[in-house]
Amino acid sequence: MGERPVYDMIVVGGGPAGYTAALYAARAGLTTLVLEKLSAGGQMALTEQIDNYPGFEEGIDGFTLAEQMQRQAETFGAATEYAEVERLDLTASPKVLHTSEGVFYARTVAFATGANPRELGLPDEAALVGRGVAYCAACDGMRYKDKTVVVVGGGNSAAADALILSRIAKKVILVHRRDALRATKVYHEPLMKTQNLEFRWNSTVSALLHGEELTGVRLKDTVTGAETDLACDAVFVSIGRKPATELVEGQLELDRSGYIMADETTRTNIPGVFAVGDVRTKPLRQVVTAVADGAVAVHMAEEYLAGGA
Amino acid sequence: MAAINLNLEQFNEMAAGTKPVLVDFWAPWCGHCRRLAPAYEQIADKYGEELVVAKVNVDEVPQLAKDAKVTSIPTLVLYKEGKMVDSVVGPGSKAAIEQFIQGALAK
Repeated sequence: MGERPVYDMIVVGGGPAGYTAALYAARAGLTTLVLEKLSAGGQMALTEQIDNYPGFEEGIDGFTLAEQMQRQAETFGAATEYAEVERLDLTASPKVLHTSEGVFYARTVAFATGANPRELGLPDEAALVGRGVAYCAACDGMRYKDKTVVVVGGGNSAAADALILSRIAKKVILVHRRDALRATKVYHEPLMKTQNLEFRWNSTVSALLHGEELTGVRLKDTVTGAETDLACDAVFVSIGRKPATELVEGQLELDRSGYIMADETTRTNIPGVFAVGDVRTKPLRQVVTAVADGAVAVHMAEEYLAGGA
Repeated sequence: MAAINLNLEQFNEMAAGTKPVLVDFWAPWCGHCRRLAPAYEQIADKYGEELVVAKVNVDEVPQLAKDAKVTSIPTLVLYKEGKMVDSVVGPGSKAAIEQFIQGALAK
């Protein structure tokens, strides 16, 4: 493999924040590369319908929006490499990114790796993914038509998942560790009105029961500690997200939940490294706030590059 | 070379050939399957000489999915001389697909 060029900006992660950074960088005349391990869009690509991204009055599916963002950035000269980043040296000059497709060099790095669904952390959970354990009702719900499914969680995404599934499954059981939902009020009434939805308050899932496939869950009462088994065909885990920041642990400052510490400038503790989108500490994680980060990061990167880096 | 969509007859024909056949079991309504597609097309370009890189729509060819015990999609299955050698459910990166191919070919 020949010596590779030093890019003005390498974007790690091809979601909305990443491809917006790439778009702005390419349009600013910076040589720009996006490293994406699978395909454009990140979490957005698994969202069937996005109704709160301005400009699409009929809504748009996340995968299509992601493809359009990618093509738009590429039209202006950004490139994409389908590579998984394995290791980075962000303080080196230029910055070094070791990937499944070899080594890349960059003057600035926009870190846009996003977040992933949080897992229950139970034995055999990973092996049961696709065999009854799922993290996305909109993606996997159809498989459980007329079956019994459990949703774990009490926030907005758990509430939304329970409603989606109630229209598909025979029965939905919402398991929540507290005695009331954390989800916003708009969800409460539709949930209470749903005939085939049952609540199990003050309960956590303590074990996954299975043969080849999931057959049920063991529930633990958080008040009494008593355990009961509950038969079901699937469990949808909806207990929040965790940022994908393992790669930069020890290099970039992270908050207690693992998000990269950066303010509205997107600047991290290392000069020339920016955190954009869901991976950054911020009050609201949405496509619109992610794309804004991408634009800001490029503005800051230009300033940094002009400073003689 | 783009990944080709096979029906049962075409699959049987390909499987009877000398090249191993890699199949991506997918469906148009499956979000994770769509996410796999761009990387899978690059795999088709890269491995087109060694492998038949194919796709099977599980709604159109349910029998094949059932034979391969595919219960979750996307699932990749590698066939050698018509026999299933190995499978992987929902690989998370292009690198993971390549790892699967290397491993399965070595079996």
